[in-house]
Amino acid sequence: MDWASLAFYLIATVCVLSAAGVVISPNPVHSAIFLILCFLNIAATFVLLGAEFLAVAQVIVYTGAILVLLLFVLMLVDTEKLPDFHTGQPVQRVVGLILGLILLLEIGAAIVARSIEGQPGSASRAEVEAVGGNTQALGRVLYDDNLLAFISVSLVLTVAVIGAIVLALPDRVRGTNKQRGTGTINLGHPVGADGTPLALPQVRGEAPIPPMAPGTLRPVGADRRIVMVSDPDTYNTVGQHEEPLPDLGDDDASRRSLAGRQGEGTR
Amino acid sequence: MMEVGLNHFLMLSAILFIIGLMGVLVRRNLIIIFMCVELMTNAVNLTLVAFAWSLNSIDGQAFALFIIAVAAAEAVIGLAIIIALSRRAHTIDVGDVRTLRD
Amino acid sequence: MVENPLWVALIVGAVLMFITLTGMAYMTWFERKVLARFQDRLGPTRTGPFGLMQPLADAVKLLGKEDLVPASADKWVFLLAPIIIFMTAIVGVSVIPFGGEISIFGFELNLFAADVNVGALVILALGSVGVYGIILGAFASANRFSLLGGLRAAAQVISYEMVLALSLVGVFMLAGSLSLREILVAQQDNLVFDVFGLSISLPNWFILSQPIAFVVYIIAAVAETNRAPFDLPEAESELVAGFHTEYSGFRFSLYFLGEYINMIVISLFAATLFLGGTDGPFAQDIWGLGVLYLLAKAVLFLFFYVWLRATLPRFRFDQLMGIAWKVLLPIALLNVLFTAFVRLISNGEITVPGWAWLIVAGVAIGALLLSLAGERTRSDHSRPAAQAGD
Repeated sequence: MDWASLAFYLIATVCVLSAAGVVISPNPVHSAIFLILCFLNIAATFVLLGAEFLAVAQVIVYTGAILVLLLFVLMLVDTEKLPDFHTGQPVQRVVGLILGLILLLEIGAAIVARSIEGQPGSASRAEVEAVGGNTQALGRVLYDDNLLAFISVSLVLTVAVIGAIVLALPDRVRGTNKQRGTGTINLGHPVGADGTPLALPQVRGEAPIPPMAPGTLRPVGADRRIVMVSDPDTYNTVGQHEEPLPDLGDDDASRRSLAGRQGEGTR
Repeated sequence: MMEVGLNHFLMLSAILFIIGLMGVLVRRNLIIIFMCVELMTNAVNLTLVAFAWSLNSIDGQAFALFIIAVAAAEAVIGLAIIIALSRRAHTIDVGDVRTLRD
Repeated sequence: MVENPLWVALIVGAVLMFITLTGMAYMTWFERKVLARFQDRLGPTRTGPFGLMQPLADAVKLLGKEDLVPASADKWVFLLAPIIIFMTAIVGVSVIPFGGEISIFGFELNLFAADVNVGALVILALGSVGVYGIILGAFASANRFSLLGGLRAAAQVISYEMVLALSLVGVFMLAGSLSLREILVAQQDNLVFDVFGLSISLPNWFILSQPIAFVVYIIAAVAETNRAPFDLPEAESELVAGFHTEYSGFRFSLYFLGEYINMIVISLFAATLFLGGTDGPFAQDIWGLGVLYLLAKAVLFLFFYVWLRATLPRFRFDQLMGIAWKVLLPIALLNVLFTAFVRLISNGEITVPGWAWLIVAGVAIGALLLSLAGERTRSDHSRPAAQAGD
């Protein structure tokens, strides 16, 4: 048995085990790490199949960008509300397993009994080396034969970026707010220990700063914030109200939730 | 152990596809379902590249590269939808997101 | 693509790894000495002559520290994160060509561990996987400040990674290949200029053909390795120590040394891509001289890194991201466009009449003036809309 076969069996084993880990692991971040491992092994398989450029493209794009995005989303989504792994009916899991095994047997039978042959192409190892390597051969195919598809894919990517930015904007930023202009940050009038507004020292040449009347909407202290309410259909701002900031307490519960203990069951 | 041929690679990608499929059916967390969909896409990529290798064609690799690029676009939009959904519905359990159904 | 037999590649790889580890240890010494001289003091002098045993002393100290794992941290991920960053950094040395084919004791081998067809992309890919070391480390320490710092560091590394890759596309176009050995070979031709009857022969180093790409690469490289002046996420005065707050002892040293190895690999990469690598006078004749040239060029870059750290103040995070996306990325893209254009013209595939150049120059200058005017009128207190960690 030569090195390629040994490498293939090793890589395939790790690949399948890590894919199983993605599905079985209760913690989403552990699932993501198993998926990273799986993708790296798939990239190694690509190298075994002689597609080196595709292997590095897989690592850079899939492992290095898409999964990083996934991890960002996992960490920024509120983890207290993640559903429990075991709230699904157990019968669902058994049925899923059986269906999966049956489908696997069917696909296996189809693979072994394969009778439709494809058309062999013109890119054997020697011809690819003559062009200059895998990258050069792939470049010729992409830019000479499939140029239109290539440019369309770049358009798709641009539109996807714009769409994602629009979808993921926080509600406060979206919508027109005609009341807020550019310029000064209004921190509200400082109050003394007894709650009455303090008299601010007057800067020479400027008018004295009057204390604000109660009831005007602006941030009154460090424990409140203004939230803009936007209409979900048109994304226009339809009002604003004050609400107290959530309490980032120091007790175990909040520390655990913010630390990302995303248990889908109880820990 | 035999020499590694096309069937081995196809079986590997079939197993990965089935594992991804079972993950989509069984799990309830939206993000993990998304990960399993990506796993299935990669299994298909592996099939394409395996055929390209066995038939001495480079078109399979070009197609797989397009799939990677479009999957990146799909991942970006899918995750943006998940973020927007988690903000409004405050949950990412697929069982709870049923406003269209009701 | 030139291949080493497998066992030769393993031995060369092991030797290179050993040399890199030693280099990394002495990089810490180098930095402390040079920083000290910039700051008008001496640096380590007591541990051995010229403080040369300082890395050993540091290692003993760090190994002796208590190894803390926070109680509510995710233990396996906490262990995994520094290992990821260290390993991906050091694997990068395997694709850098330290020379061509040499024969030692009548035995032929190539002075690199692997010459893959996509060698330059391998280093970029390793940088992409290295981001996980930061994110997972930040996440696993059950500390919300570490998480924020880690996400910011990751966002910075990803943005500058893209700028890095784009700045290198011009070099790849000129060399016609992604393989580092072929890029080296392409730089060994000589450009001969006839100036006023004298013919000057310059080496075809890509720093001369792609100066803008070189500048963009240097800035992006400094930002990619989280070094000053782009080290906001891990600076001592911000967020305690950023994403590696909770790490102590040997784990912390893994992060720290991983960063140094990253610096070394990127310096070697820059030396290979832009400064001709092992190219130099008489490099072809004496077989050790090429390696010495490469190491000297890498030390030049490392000195530049330390110089930047000693001299410049730190960027704020939104300034940092603004530079990447608004300044460096357009410059890199324009460089790619321009290089492609020049390449097509010099190959004779398209011809451009003289008046077209005037129009292009006019449009370029107009765009430049407009963008400068736009920068001045935009007010400076516009908040960044959606930062990571917001």
